[in-house]
Amino acid sequence: MSAIRRRLFAKSYIDTWFLLLMTAALLVAFRVVQPGWLNGHTVQNLVIQNTPLALVAMAMTFSIISRYIDLSPGSMIALSGVVIGLVYTAQGSLALAIAAGVGTAIGAGLLNGFLVAGLGLNAIMVTLAAFIWARGLSIGANQGNPIDVGSGLGTVVNASWHGLTLTAPVVIGAYVGGWLLLSRTKMGRYTYAMGGDPTAARRAGINTALYTILIFLLMGAMIGVSAVITVGQLGSAQPTAGLGLELDAIIAVVIGGTRLAGGEGVVGRTALGVIFLSILNSGLLNLGLTDAYFQLYRGLALLAVLSVQIIVRRVTDEEERRKREQEQLSAALATA
Amino acid sequence: MSVDAGTVTGRRAPERAQVGDLLRRLAETLGIVAIAGALLLAFGLTSSQFLLSGNIRNIFVQISVVGVAAIGETLVMLAGGLDLSVGSVVLLSEVICADLTATHHLPLSVALLAALGAAGGIGLLNGVLVAVIGIEPILATLGTLLVAAGLAKLILGLRYLQVDHPVFNDLAVTNVLFNLPIMVAVMLGLYVVVSIAMRVTPFGRMVYAVGGNRRAARLSGLSLVGVTIAVYVVAGVLSGIAGFLNVAQIGLVSQNDGMGLEFQAIIAALVGGLSVTSGGVGRVERTLLGALIVGMMTNYQTIKGIDPAFQQAFLGGLLLAAVLADRLLRGRQ
Repeated sequence: MSAIRRRLFAKSYIDTWFLLLMTAALLVAFRVVQPGWLNGHTVQNLVIQNTPLALVAMAMTFSIISRYIDLSPGSMIALSGVVIGLVYTAQGSLALAIAAGVGTAIGAGLLNGFLVAGLGLNAIMVTLAAFIWARGLSIGANQGNPIDVGSGLGTVVNASWHGLTLTAPVVIGAYVGGWLLLSRTKMGRYTYAMGGDPTAARRAGINTALYTILIFLLMGAMIGVSAVITVGQLGSAQPTAGLGLELDAIIAVVIGGTRLAGGEGVVGRTALGVIFLSILNSGLLNLGLTDAYFQLYRGLALLAVLSVQIIVRRVTDEEERRKREQEQLSAALATA
Repeated sequence: MSVDAGTVTGRRAPERAQVGDLLRRLAETLGIVAIAGALLLAFGLTSSQFLLSGNIRNIFVQISVVGVAAIGETLVMLAGGLDLSVGSVVLLSEVICADLTATHHLPLSVALLAALGAAGGIGLLNGVLVAVIGIEPILATLGTLLVAAGLAKLILGLRYLQVDHPVFNDLAVTNVLFNLPIMVAVMLGLYVVVSIAMRVTPFGRMVYAVGGNRRAARLSGLSLVGVTIAVYVVAGVLSGIAGFLNVAQIGLVSQNDGMGLEFQAIIAALVGGLSVTSGGVGRVERTLLGALIVGMMTNYQTIKGIDPAFQQAFLGGLLLAAVLADRLLRGRQ
């Protein structure tokens, strides 16, 4: 029993407990301000609205652990969606359109991966460029207008069983898959190795180029699925889809306790980060605030959480260090 | 953690290494000048309007806002950070300045000081969050982006504020340099001042030291916290000044002013040859050339009637080219 307790309250779980506490505090706060807010309907909406964020954040965990932060997902979701719309309009075949859209997302992942792994370019700058060019192309493709894709895709994506749509099992599947991939496979171990020390990883004989490209491909796949779901939910491809999604995904991963410095992190914690962020966004939106207050509160909340997280971490690190010094000192005294 | 190839070999063969180092530096500076010159020539030959003096004036006016904001972004990136709050701070400065003069009829000097104070305040917040608390720059400045935009929109509401103060008209209309208006002269002046300051003042050397090698900077007694905070405050104030220029250029303040300006500033700095592989490598004056190249491309595409959305796509491609050039010139990370 005490072993379990020690494990649960170990230092590595401090971040998780802190996040659960913040999430609970947030729920209570929103509940007090607006008693009717949290019900079954809200939970369904949370899942439906935040599916792209959840999927991208899962892949972003791999990106951040390996130190290849990806800024392209938001724009790429829009571009892939627009490709689905354009192909559907031209060919009339939904299957072909989806294949083209997902292919675009994976192709862009491959391109980014090649630029980073093959040419040795800085990942943030390569994906910042993609963030800009992909948004430009998706707005330019149809003069900024949405492209209608009919209701065929919507009937699949929005099909619900007892109020749960198909997106819930997709998200759960992605997280289980991501967890297995990160904790049980060679790719997962190499992801940590590359983020911990890229040079050491290369010298240890890891094909870092291959695994870097695989990490970008994983992101591409999640972007493709997100694009299909986004287009299906709206019944049309919006050139402004996914605006700011990449930064939300990075925040979700970091709030989950994964450090931007790379080399550590867990998919499960990202799930908690996504839950926290979706509750924050949805709760604030539901207050009916103006854009001004929404941005102000969101910014303050994020800065507060990030600050407190770091301070908590620093305090526990300090305690840990003091305890270790104490032990070393007593050990030295005993031998003397 | 960059080790300059020239200084390493310099221990063994000083004369040759110095020549090599000098050549590489010349290539870096002349390379960007040559690219700007080639673009000028190509655009001039393929468009009859591009080289007209009125159009050259337009290009300078169009880049003055992002040009000033990019000075601050360059300093922050040289010190190894990143500032995403630039656009929001520009908006905040505009709104405060416009609200105090147009709605509350306060004297312009008070409004300018208040706006600069607010802009510097956001910069101070950035610096404290990054240097004292230790939040990653990209996340800290994303948070202050939201806070500053929220505050600005809170003051502005759903209004458009019209500013027709004579000083702002003068900034945009009165010519001082050849046929360039005061706002362009302000931008060029700031570049001259900051470029010289980065070379001769202790502050400039500290920024390079902190960006180049944090550990070495700390061990040699520099206050990382102090330098980092100072850089973010300077960047905030420069964004505030960029806000004034934007008011002068448009004469109107609205909700979406400054949106995405941080990315334009980052692109200008990178096209100007700021190193992304290591902090502490780059020159402020080259950022001006970067902004000019971006400005010329945008202007040329507009003359040719290209959809702004596709212009944005080209801009992404230009950024990739700049990053690739940095990789070829300075080697792997």
